[in-house]
Amino acid sequence: MPSIRIPSALRTFTKGAADIEITATTVRDALSELERLHPGIGARLMTDGTVKPFIRIFVGADDIGELGGLDAKVSERDEISIIPAIAGGSGA
Amino acid sequence: MTLRATIVGAGGLGGPISLGLARTGIELTIIDPDVVELSNLHRQIQFTAVDLGAPKAARLAGSVVAHGGVARGIVADWTLARADEISGDADLIIDASDDPETKFAVADWAVANGRRYVIAAALRYGGNVMAGAPGVACYRCLFEEPAEVPSCADAGVLGPVVGAIGSVAAAIALGLVHGDRTYAGALLAFDDLRKVAEPRVVRYAPRPGCPACARAPISPLAAPPVRVAEGN
Repeated sequence: MPSIRIPSALRTFTKGAADIEITATTVRDALSELERLHPGIGARLMTDGTVKPFIRIFVGADDIGELGGLDAKVSERDEISIIPAIAGGSGA
Repeated sequence: MTLRATIVGAGGLGGPISLGLARTGIELTIIDPDVVELSNLHRQIQFTAVDLGAPKAARLAGSVVAHGGVARGIVADWTLARADEISGDADLIIDASDDPETKFAVADWAVANGRRYVIAAALRYGGNVMAGAPGVACYRCLFEEPAEVPSCADAGVLGPVVGAIGSVAAAIALGLVHGDRTYAGALLAFDDLRKVAEPRVVRYAPRPGCPACARAPISPLAAPPVRVAEGN
């Protein structure tokens, strides 16, 4: 069963869980299932059916942009990673 | 030949990056507008109580010199308007700021001027380090545009995390400035350093229509792809 790696900033939606196992054959299905299981997280990832510009999604080490976008296929052992832009590091 | 680097930000990331590069023979320009505050000290370990109220850039440059390096501190914001003046002679530029707009500005300037660059960020228990160089996908290819994302002031950051992310950024910068392109065009994502110290290394393609790449002297769309080691 493929899994989705949840970034720490979004784990409030998953009750702290870092990895969520999903029944899905595409990234789009996986994100829909994630939203069904953890309502609210989808709105943090997508707008009008597209991934927000400061969020990138990878299957394994590969950007889904190179794999067919949200229609990228996922298989049983794939790990889907959600990587958001972050900005911390310097200030007060 | 003397190598030069600009480090944008003298705080939680800028400290370990600057000190990590202090004795590598690279001349550093460190720029930051802020002064040291009490709330900084738990994670900005380059400063102590005696530095309170002093400009971070000047104090950090002084520490680099005390460690045997060469550095100058500039107490100001790094902006595109002054970028050529401040970083025009830099072989490498490192963003260690906590401001999304600055990260994109640093990356865009580096791409347009054919410079190598590193964008570092830390938040809560993890962080990201992105390495850029001419001919590969850029930071704007990755995240497209600045957004309202949490900063350390909003979400906090664990003190040791900035040391770890900053040290990784310094090591990658050192490789980049000496021509090692292993991580050029890749992002190292550290999710939760309390649990997993190894990053996920992800690669991404140049984004067609990227406005930053359109100004690059070497088009990433025309360059051969760079392969990197895959992480966990």
